[in-house]
Amino acid sequence: MTRARIFFTGVGGQGTLTATTLLARTALDAGLPVTSGEIHGMAQRGGVVESTLLVGGYKSAIIAPGEADVILGFELLETLRGLPMLRRGGFVVGNSEALQPVGVCLGRECYPPLEAVLETAKGFAAQVVLVPCISLAEQAGTAKAANTVLLGAAAACGALPFGVADLTRSIEKYLKPKLVDVNLKALALGAEAAKAGQAA
Amino acid sequence: MGKELLKSEGGDTLLLLGNEAIVRGTLEGGVRFVTCYPGTPSSEAPDTFFRLSQGAPYYFEYSVNEKVALEVAGGATLAGLPTLCTMKHVGVNVAADPLMTLAYVSAPGGLVLLSADDPGCHSSQNEQDNRLYARLGGLPCFEPATAQECKDMARDAMLLSRKLETPVLLRTTTRVNHVRGPVVTGDLPATPYEKPFVKDPAKYVPLPASARVMHKRLRAILDGLVAEADASPYNVESGAGELGFISSGVSRNYLTDVLEEEGLVGKVRLLELGLTYPLPENRIAAFLSACKKVLIVEELEPVLENEIRALAQTRGISVEILGKSEHLPRLGEFSTANVRQAVRAFVGQPAAVVEALTVPGDLPRRPPNLCAGCPHRAAYYAVREVYGDTAVYSSDIGCYTLGFLPPFRAADFLLCMGSSISTGAGFARASGKPVVAFIGDSTFFHSGITGLIDAVAYNHDVLIVILDNRTTAMTGHQPNPGVDTTIFGENPNPVDLMALIRACGVEPVKVNPLNHKATLAALTELSKQTGPRVLVAEYPCPIHARRVGQAKKTLPARVAGDPAACLTVRDNLACPAFAMVDGQFTINAEQCDGCMFCVQLSPDLKPGKKEAK
Ligand code: SF4
Ligand code: SF4
Repeated sequence: MTRARIFFTGVGGQGTLTATTLLARTALDAGLPVTSGEIHGMAQRGGVVESTLLVGGYKSAIIAPGEADVILGFELLETLRGLPMLRRGGFVVGNSEALQPVGVCLGRECYPPLEAVLETAKGFAAQVVLVPCISLAEQAGTAKAANTVLLGAAAACGALPFGVADLTRSIEKYLKPKLVDVNLKALALGAEAAKAGQAA
Repeated sequence: MGKELLKSEGGDTLLLLGNEAIVRGTLEGGVRFVTCYPGTPSSEAPDTFFRLSQGAPYYFEYSVNEKVALEVAGGATLAGLPTLCTMKHVGVNVAADPLMTLAYVSAPGGLVLLSADDPGCHSSQNEQDNRLYARLGGLPCFEPATAQECKDMARDAMLLSRKLETPVLLRTTTRVNHVRGPVVTGDLPATPYEKPFVKDPAKYVPLPASARVMHKRLRAILDGLVAEADASPYNVESGAGELGFISSGVSRNYLTDVLEEEGLVGKVRLLELGLTYPLPENRIAAFLSACKKVLIVEELEPVLENEIRALAQTRGISVEILGKSEHLPRLGEFSTANVRQAVRAFVGQPAAVVEALTVPGDLPRRPPNLCAGCPHRAAYYAVREVYGDTAVYSSDIGCYTLGFLPPFRAADFLLCMGSSISTGAGFARASGKPVVAFIGDSTFFHSGITGLIDAVAYNHDVLIVILDNRTTAMTGHQPNPGVDTTIFGENPNPVDLMALIRACGVEPVKVNPLNHKATLAALTELSKQTGPRVLVAEYPCPIHARRVGQAKKTLPARVAGDPAACLTVRDNLACPAFAMVDGQFTINAEQCDGCMFCVQLSPDLKPGKKEAK
C-alpha cells in the first residue's frame, strides 16, 4: 500500500485522537508522507470525534464519502455511521462493543444490533473485522487502552501501511513510560483477536 | 507538543498541529508578547503558548475578551515588541473596534492577528469569512493550507509586519488549525527585536486631522505591497494550457489532490495564492491573459472571485471567470468531492459517480452532552423544577449552551458571546414574560457584565443565573479572571465575582448547584421577586478540577432500590452515566463522576460502596 486514506471515528474520551497521532508518527518514522486532520471542540462532551490520516502524499486532510480506504471505528454505532465514507473494497476494523448515546438510554432511540453493522459493511468492504476492544483492554489492564487494541487489530489484518512491529516501536517511543506495558499488551491482544477473527 | 517548540536551532522535523506550527512560526519571527481570547478552532495556539510560558522569551495572557486582547497587543507593539494576538472568527467581531483603527495607528514592533474561521460551523454560531476584515481594516493577509505553511507564514507574517510596521492578518480555517503534518523548523532569532517608542502623537493619535494622514499612509503601504505579493514565494503558478484555476487557503489542498487524481497536473494552469491581500494584481493579470477560462476555487465568500473579476474588467482582459456555482457553494466547507465535481464540469467531463454505502437515516444521534457530574446539569434541573415552560430561557456561549437539548430545553435564543443578559432583558421588557438568562463565569467577565449594568440601570426584569464552574470549560479549560487555580497553581490575582456583581447594584445569592435543596430554595425565593436578580451557581467543572489536581476522590452512585422507580430521574436528569441494560436502569460506574446529585432525587439511588470500581 503506498497511498491510503484512513478515517477514524469514535466517541469523545475514547482516545481516537491519540491513536490518530500515534499512527501519524508511525507513518512518518516509516518515511511516508502524511497529513492528518481532526475535529474537536465540543468533542469532549461525549459527542462524535472524527479524524483522518492520509498517507502517501495527499494534501487535503479530509475524506469525502466513498473515499476512505480504511475505517477505524472505536465504537460500534459510530462505525456504522461512518460506513458511507468507505470506498468499495476498503477495510473496516472496528470495536464490537457499544457506548450508549443518551437517547438510547432514555428509550427514545434504538441501538443497532452488531449484525446490522456487519451486514451493511460486508459485500462492500474487502474485509470487516470487529473485535471487543473494551473487554480486551480491561484484560490488558485498563479500559483506556481500547484504542490501542483497535490499532493492533488493524495492523494485524493488513489494513495499515505498516505492521504490528512498527506500532510496538511507536508505543515504546512516544507513550509515557508508565503506559507502555499496558498498551503493548493491548496491542498484542488486539492483533491476536483480529487474526482469530480473520481465520474464523 | 512540548519544549521542542522552544528549541533555538532549527532543522528538526516535528509532527505538529496547525495551531502548534503557528506557535513555532511566530517564535521564529521573534514574538515577545502574546494575547488572546480562546475559542475553537484557534485555542491550541494560545494554549501551547500558555503551557510553555514559564521561563519563555515572551509575555502571555488570556485576556478578558478579544477587544481587550487586541488593545493590550496594540500597546505592546507600540512599545516596540513583536506581538501576536489570537482569536476565533467571531472574536474578531468583538475586537472590530480597535481593529479598524489599528492599521492607521501602525504596529512599530510588528503585530500578527490570528483569526481562525470555521467554515461548516464545527464549533461556532456562524461561518463568516474574515478575509473581508483584511479588506475592511487594511491588513495584509496570509492564508496557509498545511502545517508547514502555518509555521512559515506565521513567521513571515511577523517579519513583514515588523518591516512595514503595519498589522498583518493570519487567516486560517478549522481544517488548517487542526491539520497535523510534518514541519521542518527554522532557527529562532539570536537577538530579540525591539523598537524603542519615541513620542509622536501626530503619528499615533488618530484625531480627525492626523487620521486622514494615517489613512493615506496605510493605503500607500498596501499599494506598495502589490509588488511584494506579485513576487511572493507563497503565490505560485504551475502548469500550462488554456484552462486555469486560482485558489487560496485550504481549498488549494482539495484542488491539488483532485487535479492529481484526475490526471490534470501540468495540463491546466494553476495559480495558488498564499499572500492574498493585497492581491498580486500583475501576476493574476498575466495569468488571466494566458487563459481562456478560469475557475476560482475558494471556500465561503467570493472574495477573490469578485476582486479578480474587477481586475479583469479594469485591465480589459477578456477571459471567462467562473467561481461560485452549484458545485462550489457559498455555504459550508469544501471537500475533494465537491471540488472534483466542479473541476470535472469545468474541463467538460461528466460528473464523477461516487459509490458509497448508505446507512439507515434514523440511527441514534450522539450530540455533545454535558458531562457526567457537570454542575450545570444540576443547575438546569433545579431551574426547570421552578420554572418549567413558564419562563423563556436566554442562553450564552459555553458548555452550558448544551442545556438547549432535552430534557432541559434551557435555551430559547442566543445571539453571541455575552448576549444572554441583555437579550433576555430586551425580551422581558418587550414581552412581559419571565426570563431566566444563563451565563458562564468566563462569559460574564468577557462581555456579560455590561448587560448586567444595563439591567440594573433600566430595572429589567430578568433572573440571571451565573453558572460559575471556575474555568473556561468550553474551549479547553483556560483560566479566566475569576479562577482560583490554573495548571501552574493558585491564581494570585483572582477577581471577586460576588463583589463585582454587588458593585453593579445587585445583591447576588450564591449556591452550590450540587446541593439540590439549597439551590431549589434560592430559586424559589428569587422567582417571587422582580427586577434584575443574580444567582451564582458555583461549583468547579470536574474535568478542570481533575486537571489542576483539585478533584476529590469520589465513589460512583448506584441503584440501591427498585430500578424502575428511578426512571423519572433518568428522564429529567439524563446523566450520561445512566444506562439501560436489558431493560433495567443502571449506573455505569466507569462513567459516573460521583457528583451525588442524582442520589438527592430518589431514595432508590445511593452512594457507592467501597468495592464498586
Ligand atoms: S467540560 Fe466541565 S463544564 Fe463543560 S460540560 Fe463537561 S463537566 Fe460541564
Ligand atoms: S452521581 Fe449520579 S448524576 Fe452524578 S455523575 Fe454519577 S450518575 Fe451522574
